[in-house]
Amino acid sequence: MNRLIASYKSLINMRRFSILSRFRRGFPRTAKFLHLRWPLLIQTILVVGLIGGVVGPNLTASVAQEVPKQLTMLTSPDYPPYGYYITSGQDRKIVGFDIDIANTIARELGFELKVGESDFNGLIPALQAKRADFVMAGMTPTPERQKNVDFSEIYYEAKDTIVAPKTSNLKTKEDLKGKTVGVQLGSIQEGNAKKIAEKVEGLKIKQLNKVPDLIQEIKAKRIDAAIIEDTVAKGFTTSNPDLGFSVVPPEGPAGSAIAFPKGSPLVGPFNQVIQKMKTNGELEKLVSKWFSQTIAADGSTTTAAPAPEATTAPAPQAGLNLDFRRIIPDIPFILAGIPVTLVFTLSSVLLGLVWGAALSLLKISKIKPLEWFSFLYTSIFRGTPLLLQLALVYYATPQLTGYNITPYQAGVLTFTLNSGAYMSETIRAGIQAVDKGQSEAAMSLGVPYALMMWDVIMPQALKNILPALVNETIGLLKDSSLVSTIGVVEVLRASQIVGANKYIYFEPLLFAGVIYYLLVMGLTYAASALERRLRRSE
Amino acid sequence: MSNPVIRTEELCKAFGQLKVLKGISVEIAKGEVVAIIGPSGCGKSTLLRCLNLLETPTSGRVFFQEQEITAPGTNISRVRQDVGMVFQHFHLFPHMTVLKNITYAPIKIEKVPSEEAKDRAMDLLRKVGLAEKADVYPSRLSGGQKQRVAIARALAMRPEVILFDEPTSALDPEMVTEVLEVMRELALSGMTMAIVTHEMGFAREVANRVWFLNEGLLAEDSPPDEFFHNPKHDRAKQFLEKML
Repeated sequence: MNRLIASYKSLINMRRFSILSRFRRGFPRTAKFLHLRWPLLIQTILVVGLIGGVVGPNLTASVAQEVPKQLTMLTSPDYPPYGYYITSGQDRKIVGFDIDIANTIARELGFELKVGESDFNGLIPALQAKRADFVMAGMTPTPERQKNVDFSEIYYEAKDTIVAPKTSNLKTKEDLKGKTVGVQLGSIQEGNAKKIAEKVEGLKIKQLNKVPDLIQEIKAKRIDAAIIEDTVAKGFTTSNPDLGFSVVPPEGPAGSAIAFPKGSPLVGPFNQVIQKMKTNGELEKLVSKWFSQTIAADGSTTTAAPAPEATTAPAPQAGLNLDFRRIIPDIPFILAGIPVTLVFTLSSVLLGLVWGAALSLLKISKIKPLEWFSFLYTSIFRGTPLLLQLALVYYATPQLTGYNITPYQAGVLTFTLNSGAYMSETIRAGIQAVDKGQSEAAMSLGVPYALMMWDVIMPQALKNILPALVNETIGLLKDSSLVSTIGVVEVLRASQIVGANKYIYFEPLLFAGVIYYLLVMGLTYAASALERRLRRSE
Repeated sequence: MSNPVIRTEELCKAFGQLKVLKGISVEIAKGEVVAIIGPSGCGKSTLLRCLNLLETPTSGRVFFQEQEITAPGTNISRVRQDVGMVFQHFHLFPHMTVLKNITYAPIKIEKVPSEEAKDRAMDLLRKVGLAEKADVYPSRLSGGQKQRVAIARALAMRPEVILFDEPTSALDPEMVTEVLEVMRELALSGMTMAIVTHEMGFAREVANRVWFLNEGLLAEDSPPDEFFHNPKHDRAKQFLEKML
């Protein structure tokens, strides 16, 4: 029995090269497949069958003797109390209801749990790209999602609410007639809102990336209301007393389940543990731990705040009502994003410079295919959005190469490839602006081409283009905030996380803005010092 | 007489449709100083630049010390170490000090130890009268000083021959003398030189031979006395009348 479980576990561990995934990819090539891969199919059926039969009550005991294997879980940690960051102090830790459940299941099955993160609408692509073994993010198993991933059974059922200004009196679905309603992009509430829109006349839907964005849109009066899950709504309305929420009856499928890549052998074992947690009351304990309480500013949990209806809400005021004291405990968490942003930017700039220099040499090489390659490359990377390139590199690399690229690596790679394209043009212009006599003088001394480029031409070219390179660096520094979309916790994402935890918006964003500004100023100063130094020869 | 340092055979060079050199066969012996003169556009500079292959000849052959350098597979960088060149516009490396300009190639190419290269460079700077400028950048020098440094830079590689491409044409008149003085010294020391120039007085005094080029052909190849007193070619006569 032990041996069988061990082989099943190693199968999961090798998932990228696994028989299962090869089986699926190979499927369309039927003729060849039928001849060559039948044994694999039989193995697969055997393994799946074994898992069904083997994983039972004695599983915990059996696997305890094995070396613990790792399971990777992805979540979108901007969704308290399901999953969010503890942001006071520099310890970056994702906690929440989902994390507790995942830990319990992993422990029961004898795995070690690794928690990664992504934007909510990037979670399912990540599963399809096999970047993770499963996803928990308060996700509801809709038929659309079930086409792309497999789900466990429901572990918690949430209710939808309408969040709106208290003065607005929007309480029922019918009240939303002719109103604009905000939902989180890719969330279950988005689907529910569409169903409501079919019945309620003139309802317009606006999708945004994050729940905090929805709250700000209500306050800015760009939307009339938002449809948000009850526990989340509770937290936000407590922090924003001018808003209130009312629960509405469910619209089709509801409740949260764990998502897995299609055909994952983990579904069965996970369901067994969930069942066990339901029967032995463990799940109930976690529900009351996370949902009957409000998340306090320091990430610890305290007893519930008075219900929003009961709060004596101050009259809605004009202006932003900024209070920076609210983020003081979280400042170290945001500041810890600075080295990430800086190291990220500098490594991208340096690698981009090297790559750009190489491309620029191809462009002036007079070898036609190399020139064409280089110009085609540049036109593609300058002609498509950086955000799109980032998403492609991050999600496609594991599927194309089998290498599970980290968000950070994907970011540096994309930024290097992208800035290399821009820099190659700048450097080419810089090289061509160097007097032709310089290369003739070097050649007449017997200096070979490579050495001439390195010692004579490049230093002069770089000096000419230094201001352009500084601009590129400043651009990259600010664009580095784009990697927040694939879950690198740099300055912007750190501040968004703080905002999500505290149900506030402007303070952390403004704070991040100041950080970026100071970084750019520092960079500008350093660059002008460098420029002065290079000018010594003039 | 020993082998020529440089020799060409039926050298032709065209830029697109424009035929600049139309078959030139010449040679320069060791220690000779050749002045290359002629009306503008006659191909003087192109001929000079073909001698170290800064221009690739369209046809014909160039030999350095009887090695054909136009042959495919020739290591031209190696050959150029022995063929110095001085340009009209100096082309000093602006990001290097005077000393670094001179020591760069010996250290990087010839692999001379840096102390030795520095000594060699200082000797040369003293010879051209600029020892005190060793540590300044070229932008601080006058045109005449730049050209003297450029000559020192070419000499630092201890070449067999130096090609001068109108070395005084970009200079203010009062700086011409200091550069010609250095070149005269160099000629007296026995250096093999080919000089494209408009300085007729200098050519007459310093050169052993004069090549007169006209419309891409070598019209006359004579000792300076003969050329300047009794030019054979009509075009040379006209040219000298205008110049002198």
